[in-house]
Amino acid sequence: MKKQALYLVSILIIFSMILSACSPATVEATQAPEATQAPAATQAPEPTAAPETSAAGTIDCKGAQSGDVVTMFYQWSGNEEERLNQILQPLVDACGIVVQPESSRDQALLDTRVQAGTPPDIAFFNVTQLEQYQDLLVPMTDLGANEANYPAYWREIGTINGSWLGLPVKADPKTLIWYSPVAFEAFGYEVPTTWDELEALADKMVADGNVPWSLGMESGDATGWTGSDFIQDILLVTQGPDYVMGLISGEIPYNDPGVKQAYEIYGRWASDAAYTVGGAQGTLETGFLDAIYLVFQDPFAAMMVKQSGFAGGEIAKQYPELAYGTDYDFFGVPGAQGLQGGSDWMMAFNNTPAVQALVAYLSSEAGGQSWAAAGFDVTPNSAGISAYTDEALLKKAEMLANATGFTPDLGDTIPGGFGSAEWAAIISYLSGGDLDAALTNVADVQAEALNK
Amino acid sequence: MANNATPQIMKQGRLTPWLYLAPAIIVMGFFIIYPMFTTIWLSFQNRDGTQPASATCVEGRPCWGMFENYRYALTAELNTSTIQTTWQTFWTSSYGNTIKWIAFMVSGTVGIGLFFAVLAERVKYEALAKAIIFMPMAISFVGAGVIWGFVYDYGAGDKQIGLLNAIITGLGFKPMAFMSTPGANTIALIVVGIWIWTGFCMTVLAAALKSVPDEILEAARVDGANEWRVFWSVMVPIIMPTITVVVTTMVINVLKLFDIVYVMTGGNYGTEVIANRMYTEMYINFNTGRGTAVAVILVVLIIPFVYLNIRRFLEQEAMR
Repeated sequence: MKKQALYLVSILIIFSMILSACSPATVEATQAPEATQAPAATQAPEPTAAPETSAAGTIDCKGAQSGDVVTMFYQWSGNEEERLNQILQPLVDACGIVVQPESSRDQALLDTRVQAGTPPDIAFFNVTQLEQYQDLLVPMTDLGANEANYPAYWREIGTINGSWLGLPVKADPKTLIWYSPVAFEAFGYEVPTTWDELEALADKMVADGNVPWSLGMESGDATGWTGSDFIQDILLVTQGPDYVMGLISGEIPYNDPGVKQAYEIYGRWASDAAYTVGGAQGTLETGFLDAIYLVFQDPFAAMMVKQSGFAGGEIAKQYPELAYGTDYDFFGVPGAQGLQGGSDWMMAFNNTPAVQALVAYLSSEAGGQSWAAAGFDVTPNSAGISAYTDEALLKKAEMLANATGFTPDLGDTIPGGFGSAEWAAIISYLSGGDLDAALTNVADVQAEALNK
Repeated sequence: MANNATPQIMKQGRLTPWLYLAPAIIVMGFFIIYPMFTTIWLSFQNRDGTQPASATCVEGRPCWGMFENYRYALTAELNTSTIQTTWQTFWTSSYGNTIKWIAFMVSGTVGIGLFFAVLAERVKYEALAKAIIFMPMAISFVGAGVIWGFVYDYGAGDKQIGLLNAIITGLGFKPMAFMSTPGANTIALIVVGIWIWTGFCMTVLAAALKSVPDEILEAARVDGANEWRVFWSVMVPIIMPTITVVVTTMVINVLKLFDIVYVMTGGNYGTEVIANRMYTEMYINFNTGRGTAVAVILVVLIIPFVYLNIRRFLEQEAMR
């Protein structure tokens, strides 16, 4: 009997060892969503029908022959890819260009193509790739891009060492605050239009016994990104987009008094249980998705949540009975002098008639309008503004039209562990650590990453 | 062949054994030796392995030349301005946390495992009792992390869905944020580790206890030793070799521990252990040089325990 029991136990041991040996694979799979691109940015209400774009007449083929091939590399798939196809369809119809796309979120794949000397004709990627491939890219001016449709600040971001290398095609501003219009109305609150009004509103909410914010930012090993987004928005209010770009280039060290002030403004709310659900512990331990739900659950636990555009999709998923515009809505962070968010850039590695036709089309009025009509986030092309069918996108497009700058996420843009250092600083500050020491730490990482 | 006195097999040349070993050596070389040397080499290089580590030094800051990545790995978490701050920051660094893990988790698993092994021997439903304690072993670390994540959950609002906080608030106390309270959180994570690994220690120790001859136990009891004395003066000395093996195995396990911390806190709030730090440097900060330097330090820390384990194993083999 004893032998048999031992035998069984040893089988169990082996079995469980195999099980535990398998577990690392699961770790990879459950990785937290990457900071800023969290769940795919699905906009609140989907446009019901694909609007017709009949702008074929205004498309300039730049001498591209029917059957000319354009190879493309982008990180969109599924729904996103369909929208891009929808946007490109008028061009394909008018000029007979054949699009050969390759879709991968793996930037290393693009790197390999470029290093092997076989880059795609066109790549849609992040702004950092413009600098990375600057020696290989064809300037937009040579390709006949219509610069009149782009505000100067967009062209500046895409300009590396004096030449305009990237065409911004898509932007997803995340300088947003989500709230419940119903709850606002019940207490007679107005959507603030300046930062002072926002602070006054928060104080008024506290006086009324409401909790203004839901600032929870727990996100596994990416905990802190919600906080860093908010702090960057505060910087856009107090200092402006040039200051943020200065942080990105390293001209301004991260322990600058301006940054410290932004942390203190944030910390005043994020560590006080009167201003945010659960105070500092609540901010540290509430999942970023739960933080969104806290505002829209019944009864609500907070009045506002600062979160990117994907929050709309999450609310719609969690509370299907709520309607966008009446039960949940957003406003831009009041007083922000610029926006922050993700943006996608078109860059060209080859100068062929078909590539020129594509650049000309996307930068044209027709291209901007069909991008807007397809509802593929917001197009920086200013001609798009009249063509949005989606209310949420239109509101973002209007914010973008009024903005004087667009800054990428600090943590995503500065390499070398800056993002995680920034999050660590926020966590340490909210846990009661010394703010100066925490910021100096981040400044060291920043200096090291940017070789300043 | 028939008239050949010595069979062919006895006359094998010097080469033949190597031929037999070749597949194993090739596989080991490819999957273990080669990555090991690459790791060591990379740990002396910069973030993407294109320049020596000394090139990353910045003037006016401390630098250890080619050992720069090791300087970072060993001192970056410490605040060396005074001895006192160095001491304090050491205990919140990944090294200090790993020492806490070793101290509490190894003693916890081996102690509780031995305790249950001794007790289980004396009950009728021994198999059932052991199976229950062994069960968590069949759950992956990630699964255990998720399960215990719910146990420790802290709700910022009024609702507490976490088991522990539900009990605490049910008794009328204020809920506690287990995962973000420095100090307490590492202990809370260690409890999860103990929960998983106690079954393993118990099983191995129980098997060893079975090998303690009944006659010796009888003799001790006849001589008037109480159970306490029998345990400490008879059982423990006899199973000491097994205890050593279990302890060293557990130390190796704990040094490599990653999953629980990764799943439950992501290494935040001062819970980082060495393996987490390696992951952060490699896959979040994309700094191969620093990541591999941490990896090498981890290997160096593990080697003595592997050596102890192998020596003990060889001794046991020799006794047979």
